Amino acid sequence: MTPRGQRRITARAVGGAVVALGLLLSGCSGGGGGDDTKAPDKDVIAKSDAVVNVDFWHSMDGTNGETLNKLVDDFNSKNDKIVIKPVFQGNYDDAITKYKAAVQSNSTPSMVQIYDIGSQFMIDSKTVAPIQAFIDRDEFDVSDIQPNIAGYYVVNDKMWSMPFNTSMPVLYYNKTLFEKAGLDPETPPLTLKDVGAAAEKLSKKNGGPAEFGFNAAIYGWFVEQEIASNGDLYCSPDNGRGADRATEFTFDNEGAVEFASWWADMVKSGVAGNTGRDTGDAQSAFKSGTIGISLESTGALGGMQAAAESQGFELGVGYFPRVEENDFGPIIGGASLYITGEGHTDAEQEAAWQFIQFVAEPANQAIWHTGTGYFPISKAALEDPVDVKWREEFPQFDVAIQQLEDTKLSTPTQGCAAGVMPQARQAVEGALEAIVQGGDAQTELTKAAEGLQMQLDDYNDSVGS
Amino acid sequence: MTVSSPESTRSDSLDLTEPAQRAPSKRGTISSWLYLVPALVVFAVFMFYPLGRSFVLSFQGNDIMGRPAGFVGVSHYARLIQDPSFHRVLWNTFAFVLLTVIPVVALSLFLSLLLHQRLRGIQFFRTAFASPFAFSVATASVIFAVMFNQATGVLNGILGVFGIDRVGWLTDPSVALISIALTTVWMQIGYNLLVLSSGLGSVPDDLIEAARLDGAGGWRLQRNILIPLLTPQLFFLIVTGTIHSLQSFGQIHILTRGGPQNSTTTLVYSIYEQAFAYSNSNFGYASAQAVVLLFVVILITLAQFGVLERKVFYR
Repeated sequence: MTPRGQRRITARAVGGAVVALGLLLSGCSGGGGGDDTKAPDKDVIAKSDAVVNVDFWHSMDGTNGETLNKLVDDFNSKNDKIVIKPVFQGNYDDAITKYKAAVQSNSTPSMVQIYDIGSQFMIDSKTVAPIQAFIDRDEFDVSDIQPNIAGYYVVNDKMWSMPFNTSMPVLYYNKTLFEKAGLDPETPPLTLKDVGAAAEKLSKKNGGPAEFGFNAAIYGWFVEQEIASNGDLYCSPDNGRGADRATEFTFDNEGAVEFASWWADMVKSGVAGNTGRDTGDAQSAFKSGTIGISLESTGALGGMQAAAESQGFELGVGYFPRVEENDFGPIIGGASLYITGEGHTDAEQEAAWQFIQFVAEPANQAIWHTGTGYFPISKAALEDPVDVKWREEFPQFDVAIQQLEDTKLSTPTQGCAAGVMPQARQAVEGALEAIVQGGDAQTELTKAAEGLQMQLDDYNDSVGS
Repeated sequence: MTVSSPESTRSDSLDLTEPAQRAPSKRGTISSWLYLVPALVVFAVFMFYPLGRSFVLSFQGNDIMGRPAGFVGVSHYARLIQDPSFHRVLWNTFAFVLLTVIPVVALSLFLSLLLHQRLRGIQFFRTAFASPFAFSVATASVIFAVMFNQATGVLNGILGVFGIDRVGWLTDPSVALISIALTTVWMQIGYNLLVLSSGLGSVPDDLIEAARLDGAGGWRLQRNILIPLLTPQLFFLIVTGTIHSLQSFGQIHILTRGGPQNSTTTLVYSIYEQAFAYSNSNFGYASAQAVVLLFVVILITLAQFGVLERKVFYR
């Protein structure tokens, strides 16, 4: 397949910078030149007598897994010719590793949930039947899908997978400690400078009420989010979102350097703690009620709320901090559902698509949202009575929804689509660790970016571009 | 020394070994091989074949799926030699072995001699000190992770009482490996203690009595009689402990994931990272490291047999 030349024309026409959903819908048919992935006939299941089994690999455990199984059972009971079989495959990294092994042994599932940063890999695996083909065939109305969420899964004007569970990072703060430190508990700080100032006032080091003013996990994801929130690119060209692949990492940009040194300065001065990479450790520190401000996923909100109640402090949620006020925002990642094309019958693909549409229905998205805390991908789900009532009960979730709606869909907020994103996140974490330990932010981030060049080149070479 | 008396206990064991030394008949050879077949088949399928595959894979590249993609010669090995982060990995590995094996053996020897005393209620302490043996690596690691937490952990809480600054047990690159070694020492002490205690228990009473009659007591008894008689157990613990240490994975995975700044990435963890973590699938490069690990284990074990075994006192 050498569709690159043709694709480039389409992407240039789009402009490469802002991918509005309308453009995505109208521009897609032209972009897929030389594509062999066409959606199967719509009535393929009706025509056959056999029951279609769909193996579905996912990474949802705990309450998330229970909610997912509920949706699956509901779907299976309504469709007597389709049986969806969910199989838990461990965390996202495990799942993608197992998917690779399955490709080697020709035993892939019909449908698989893969995390955001695995997107480019899935496209390159050439095993996926793009959702776009089904959307085009059915003229499926995507206008109900939150455009920021859909935007992440669009590469080169084509939607490859259906967003499923989506979260964003937010700023968590301890209102009780804010009050004790003489800060306004109703106005969470937004810029790095403001967060830093609040953390200083909060910290014990400066006579404040909190053990540490700030503490968050050394998590590469936050750097990705900071870069998007500043409107910068993580990789070039165009975050790998246009016709050309990402050929270089640019996460050593000014905003990221500022973010890293800001963090490191707080750790060095004793204003911030350093609980390491483990997000669980950072969470438990904040949950103990001795940390003023933290960064975490919206997915952690339920647990944070419960801990706040049992520890007797009031929880506040604010927007993810950025260098200066703007209308960018975090990347809408999470994970999405892929239909496996290669090695699977038309009936299986069609059955998987049926399930994906079912899950995307507003009522089911409301169940998903309220059951897990993940964003609903459907805008209408927010008007569902179940959802409205739930948000009245937990108003903190509204902050997350507002942040999502306030974020302007743009190439920066689509995030970087590069084949070695998982490795890049890991390298950035290494750099962040070094910076927090006293390394120079610019030097370390540049070193990390350069260190990834060989892996990125190897990857791009091996997928033949 | 008066330690010649145990020679007499050897006579019956000598009788047992005698028939085996006779030249076996031809039929006996065939049937003994037949008995070995099931074990050999299992070994071949689960040990020799994967071992052979690792060698082959270490000379091959991988595509993005992790499938072998072409012969790359010794380039993986060349990369290992040049890669400073791999040098770091080797250094971490050796440091970890030293930081675990020596303290574990020394500490459990000390404790076993202490617990060998006949005191009222000593049984309770014997059980208590051996109890870490009952913890799985995962359980112990999670508990230590909670204690090591830089912001809320009990260790920093205790230091705080004495006005000592917080230590980044798992987040300071110069401390993290020591913290993991500490966890490992705690986990392995139970098993080592059991082996040494049973060794002490099998020292014949008449031997100790004889030593006492000759005026050896306390420290002298321990140094000149008990410890020499324990050398077979000590040697066993050093050899197996070293191999165990070289292969440690669970505690590193749970406590630090090889961080901060790769300060706790040992050889085994590096193999895991290259092959399975972060969507890497560099099976070729990981296999080359696995081959290195194999040779490291063999060399160290040979060295231990060459140097230490001569000092072992077999009764």
